[in-house]
Amino acid sequence: MIGGIRFLLNDSDVLTDVAPGTLALDFLRRDKRLVGTKEGCKEGDCGACVVLVGELFAGGVEYHPVTSCLLPLGELHGKHLVTIEGLNRHALSPVQQAIVDTGGSQCGFCTPGIVMSLTGFLLDPETRKDARGCKNALGGNLCRCTGYASLIRAGRQVLQKIGGNNIFTNEFSENATVQMLIEQQVLPAYFQSIPARLKNIPAKVQRRDRATPYCLVAGGTDLYVQKGDALANLNVHLLSRQSGLKQIKLSEKRVHIGPLTTFEAFARHPIINQSIPDIQKYSHYNASWQVRNRATIGGNIINASPIGDMTALLLALESDLVFRAGRKQRTVALKSFFTGYKLFDKAADEILTDVIFPVPDAGSKINFEKVSKRQTLDIATVNSGIKIVADGALIRKVELSMGGVAPIPLFLKKTCDFLRNKRVMPEYILQANDIAQSEISPISDVRGSSEYKRLLVRQLLIAHFTKLFPELIQVRAFYEAH
Amino acid sequence: MSKQVNLSVGIQDNLREITVEIPDEAPRPWDGTDKLKYIGGRVSRVDGQEKTTGRAKFSSDIQLPGMLYARFLRSPQPAAVVKSIDISKAESAPGVKAILLVQEKLPMIVRFVGQEILAVAAETRQQADDALKLIEVVYRERPFVTKTDEARRADSPVVFEQAVEEKKSEGDLPGAAATAGQNGNVRGPQIRPKGGAPDKVDAALAGSDAVVEATYRTQVQTHSAMETHGVVAQWQDLNHLTVWASTQGTFTVRDELAEVFEMPKSQIRVLTKHMGGGFGAKFGAGIYGVMAAKLARQANAPVRLMLDRKEEHLCVGNRPDSTQKLKVGANSDGKLTALKLLAYGTAGVGTGAGVSGPARNIYEIEHIYSEESDVFTNAGPGAAFRAPGHPQGAFALEQAIDELAYKLKIDPLAFRKTNTSKNEIRQVQYKLAAAKANWAKRNSRPAADSGPIKRGMGVANSVWYYFYGTGFQASIQVNSDGSVEPTNGVQDIGGGITTIIAMVVAEELGLKPTDIRVTIGDSDLGFGPASGGSQTTAGITPAVRDAAYRARMRMFDIAAPLLGVSAEQLRADEGRIFAKEDKNKSLTWKQVASKMPGDKFTIVGERFKDHIQTKPRTIAGVQVAEVEVDTETGVVRVERVVAVHDCGRPLDRLTLESQINGGIIQGISYALFEDRILDRNTGIMVNANLEQYKIAGSLDVPKIESVILDVNHGQSSTGAIGIGEPATVPTAAAIANAVFHATGARVRELPMTPDRVLSALEYKEGGTS
Repeated sequence: MIGGIRFLLNDSDVLTDVAPGTLALDFLRRDKRLVGTKEGCKEGDCGACVVLVGELFAGGVEYHPVTSCLLPLGELHGKHLVTIEGLNRHALSPVQQAIVDTGGSQCGFCTPGIVMSLTGFLLDPETRKDARGCKNALGGNLCRCTGYASLIRAGRQVLQKIGGNNIFTNEFSENATVQMLIEQQVLPAYFQSIPARLKNIPAKVQRRDRATPYCLVAGGTDLYVQKGDALANLNVHLLSRQSGLKQIKLSEKRVHIGPLTTFEAFARHPIINQSIPDIQKYSHYNASWQVRNRATIGGNIINASPIGDMTALLLALESDLVFRAGRKQRTVALKSFFTGYKLFDKAADEILTDVIFPVPDAGSKINFEKVSKRQTLDIATVNSGIKIVADGALIRKVELSMGGVAPIPLFLKKTCDFLRNKRVMPEYILQANDIAQSEISPISDVRGSSEYKRLLVRQLLIAHFTKLFPELIQVRAFYEAH
Repeated sequence: MSKQVNLSVGIQDNLREITVEIPDEAPRPWDGTDKLKYIGGRVSRVDGQEKTTGRAKFSSDIQLPGMLYARFLRSPQPAAVVKSIDISKAESAPGVKAILLVQEKLPMIVRFVGQEILAVAAETRQQADDALKLIEVVYRERPFVTKTDEARRADSPVVFEQAVEEKKSEGDLPGAAATAGQNGNVRGPQIRPKGGAPDKVDAALAGSDAVVEATYRTQVQTHSAMETHGVVAQWQDLNHLTVWASTQGTFTVRDELAEVFEMPKSQIRVLTKHMGGGFGAKFGAGIYGVMAAKLARQANAPVRLMLDRKEEHLCVGNRPDSTQKLKVGANSDGKLTALKLLAYGTAGVGTGAGVSGPARNIYEIEHIYSEESDVFTNAGPGAAFRAPGHPQGAFALEQAIDELAYKLKIDPLAFRKTNTSKNEIRQVQYKLAAAKANWAKRNSRPAADSGPIKRGMGVANSVWYYFYGTGFQASIQVNSDGSVEPTNGVQDIGGGITTIIAMVVAEELGLKPTDIRVTIGDSDLGFGPASGGSQTTAGITPAVRDAAYRARMRMFDIAAPLLGVSAEQLRADEGRIFAKEDKNKSLTWKQVASKMPGDKFTIVGERFKDHIQTKPRTIAGVQVAEVEVDTETGVVRVERVVAVHDCGRPLDRLTLESQINGGIIQGISYALFEDRILDRNTGIMVNANLEQYKIAGSLDVPKIESVILDVNHGQSSTGAIGIGEPATVPTAAAIANAVFHATGARVRELPMTPDRVLSALEYKEGGTS
C-alpha cells in the first residue's frame, strides 16, 4: 500500500510500512509489544486474540469484535483497533470487574479475548438485546478452565449493572452508546475523540502492483487458516479497498449483495431479513460472531468449499454471480458455477462484483438446515437450503441444495424436478430422497461416514418439509414409517 | 513435643468428635465448628486485575533483549530412520544463529509424525520457519502402525525394539512392574486380582443371577490447553540458567534440566508467574525446554521456543484411548458379585493407558480381576491427563453397572446405593443428587418419550484419591511496615493457589486477603508441589498455615509486653491485635509490626505428613446428566448436569465451583466432540487444529448445578483436598447413561457423535424387532 497504513491503535496514531498482509496479531505482539492479546491457535477458533475494530459510519464509529489472527493489517487503514491495553486506564472496567467477581478467570490465558468479546457485546445493539446474546457473544472464545458458566454470568451481571437490556431499547446511535459506555467506565474517555480522529485519516485505494504475483483477499477467514504466515509475505491485495462491494440493495425485484458483505452484516440487513425471515437463526449456526464479522459472502462462494454454509443457502435462492474483468462483465448462475472440487467457472483476472437473487415470491418458503457436532463454530457434516413455492399442499417449485455430500456445493436438480407438481406427502418426500441419494456422492471424513451423510440427506429433507408445512406433515409420519 | 486436640469432623451437619495429636508449634486444625472469615467463603482472585487487564505475563509474553526465536523441524514420517541431514543452506540463511540436532549422532529412529529432529534459532520466528524449509533430511521409511487393534497383532510393525522405560506421573497404569512383559507392541499386562485367584472371579460370575458383558471404547483426547507448551531460556553465565516455562511443575522442570545439563539444581531457576493451562501435560522440561536451553547456550542469546497449535496436538501429550472388555455380575438381591476387566489402550510411543481405577475402587465387590496393557503405536506420546485413566474407566464401568441395574429391574441409583453401602459420603451424595436432579420424577422406563426428540437422565459415580506430598516449605515475611509476604515456588495452574495462599494467611493473621502480597512461581523460593493429582492446595496450604500461625505467635510475643498481657490472651482480627478479655487493650497490626526488632522477620512453615494417616483415601462424587437426543440426526445435547462432590473442607467456593464447572465441560467435550484422528495410511493427524478438533464452547454449556459437600476430614491443618480431577471423571459416563435412558440404545464408544448414536439406535431396533 502506497504511503503506509494509518490507523488508530487504542489511543495512539499508527503509521506503518509493514506489508498489508501481515496479521494484526503479529503486528501487535511482535512490532508493538502489546502482548495482552494472546496467540492460542492462529486459526480464528480459540478467540484468545479477539480485538475490537471500529469503523466510521454515519452515526459514529461502529465496533466489532474480530479475531486478530485472521485480520490483515491493511484492513485497518482509517479504522480504530482496540486491544485489551486500550480498555482501562485507572480502574477495572465493569466487564473486567465482573469477570473477577464471578471467578471467570482461572489460568487467565483466554481472559483478554473474553474481555474484548464482552465489551463488544455491550457495544453491539443486536447482540446485547438478545436473551442469548451473552452466550452468543462468547461463541468464538474457548476457555478450557472455567466451563463458561462464570463468564456468562459475568456478561449478564455487567449488562444488568449498566442498566439491563432496557437501557438499549431505544434506537441508540453509535455515538450515544459509546458516550454511555464511557460514562459507565466500560470504555475510557479517549473513545470520544475517535470519530474526529478517524475522519482525519485520508482514504487510500490500494493500487495493485501487477508486476508481481498477488493474492486477492476478501475476509480472509479461511485463506489465513490455510495459508497462514505465508500470506504475510505475499503481495496481498485486499478487496475491501475497493469501494462499492459491500452494499445490499433492491433493484427490479432482485436483491443485490456486494460480495464483500460480511456474514454478520448480511444477516442483519433489513432487505435480507425480509427475503429470508429466519436468516438470524441460520446465521448463528455459522462460524462465530467474531468470525462472521470478517467472513464475506463472496469469499464463501469463491472459497468453493463443498460445505460452505452461505453457498448452500444462496444456491436454494437461485443466485447469480456477476464477474468483471476490466470492462467485460459476465453473469453465471451459481448452480453451474462449480465444476469440480475447488474448481469453478472464473478466469484469473475476473472479480466477483455482485451476487444477485430474485426476491422470493410472497408465497415461497425458505429453510436452511445444518448438522454439526458443536452448535457453533463448526463445519457442517451436511447442510442444506431449500426454497419452495406451494399452492396449499401442491408444490409448484422447489430449489434444493445440499453441502458436504459431493465435491461441490450441490444443487439437486433431479430431486427438484421430481417434486414439482407433487403434493406434500411423506411418500413423495421419501421418493424424493431416493432420487437425492442418486445425485449425491458423499465420502467418509472427520465429519462423518458416507453412510451417515446419506442418512442426514434424508433427515434434512424431511426436516425441511416438516418445518415448512407443519400443518400438513409431521415428523412422526416418517418416524413411524421408519 | 506434641499436644492433643479435639476436632469435630465428618460430613457437614453430622459431625463427630475425634482426638488427634499435633506438634506443639502447629495450629489447631480447622474443623467443622470453626467459623472462619474467608476460608470457605467466596473470595475473588487476588490476581484478577492482572489477568483481566492483559498485564499478566505468560511465558509466551516474555521479551528479552536480543532474544531469538526457535522452531522445530519435525518428522513428516510416522516411522523412519534418519539417514542424513543437510543443514548447510539453513546455516547461512538470514537471521539464523544456531541449529542443533535433537540426537547428535545419526542414524536416528523416528517413531511418530511430529517427532523432533532438530531446532533452529533465528532472529525472528519467520526466519526460523524459513530456514527449516532449507534443511534436507533423508529418511528411510519403515513400516508403521497407528491403530491400536492392528498394533496388537503378531504381524504388526514393531514400534520399539527394546523394553520401554516407564515415564513417571501420578496415577499412571500399568505401573513400572509391567515393563518386564513387553511382547511386540504390547507392554504388560499388569494383573491385579482381588479376592482370590482369577478362576474365583470366573466362578463367581458364572454363579451370578445376572451378568453384563460388553466392550467399551474411548478415543484419544488431546489436552489442548489454551497456552501451548514452551519456554524462554536464558543463560546468565555459563553456569546459571533461567527458564520461563509454561509449566505445572516449576521444580519438576528444574530437576529435569539439572539432570540433562548435569548441573546443580540451585544453578537453575524456573519462573512461572502465569501459565495458560496444563491438565497434566506440562510437568517436565520437555524436548522443547531442553533444546531451547541448548540453543541459547550455543547462540549465546536468550531463546524463546513456543509450540504452535498443531505441534500441541501432535507431540506433547494426550489421553490414551482404551478398549475395555468388562464383565460384571450381580445377584437378584442387587448385590454385585464379581468384576472382570480386560483392557488395553495406546499412549502412542508413551505409556500409561491403564483404566482400572474406577473398577477397583468404587464398589463393594468381593472378586475383582483386572488385566491391562499398553499398546505402542506410531503416534505422539500420551501424558497424564486430568484423572489419568478414570474418565475412560468410568465410561465403561458406570455403563455396565447401569446395564446390570436395568437387567435386574433395579433403579440405577438405588443399585449404586446398595453396592457402596459402607461409604457414608456416597450415601449422602446420592440423596443430595437425587433431590437436586428430581430423580424421583424420572420415568423408570427407557425411551419413554414419543416423537423424535427424546429426553433422558443418567447417573454415574466418580472416584479419585487423596494425594499430597511432603517437604514443601512456605515462607512468610512480615515487614516492619506491617506488610505480609508469603512465598513459595509453586505455580498457579489456574486453580487459584495464589488467592488460596492469601486467604489462608489472612485468615490466620486477622488481615484481608488483599493485604497479603503472595509471590509464587519461582523455583528459587521454597519447595512446592507440582500441580498433579489434585494436590496443590492439599499440599501447600498446611505449610502456609503453619508459617502464618507461627508468624502470628511472633507478633503476639511483640505485642504482649506493649499491651501488658500474656501472649496467650491475644487474638488477631480485622487488622488489630488485642486482648481477648479486654478489647481496649489493642494495637493495629502495623503498630505491632513497627516495634519488631530489626526490619523484618521470616518464618518457614513445612508440610509434614497428615496427622491422621488413614483418611481420606478415596474422594467420592456423583453426577446426574440430563440429555436431549434427536433420534433423526443423532445429535445429543446435554441440558443439565447435577454434580455432588466431596470437596473436603472447601477453601474458596468461588474457584471450587469454577473447577467443577470446568471439569464437567471438559467431560462433555470428551463425551461428544473431542477425537484425535490419525490417517492410517500416512500416520498424519488430520485434525491437528481447533477448527476440526472440537472443544466445547459457550453455547454447548448446559445448566450446571453443583452441590459442594463439605467434609471435614481433619487430616491436616487446613483439611483441604483436591477437586481438579474428580469433577471430570463421571461426566461422559453419566451422559452415556442418560442417552440410554432417553433412547434405549447403548453407545459404548466415545465420542458419542451423531453417527455413532444413530447406528446404536439402528442396532437397538435391529435387535428388538
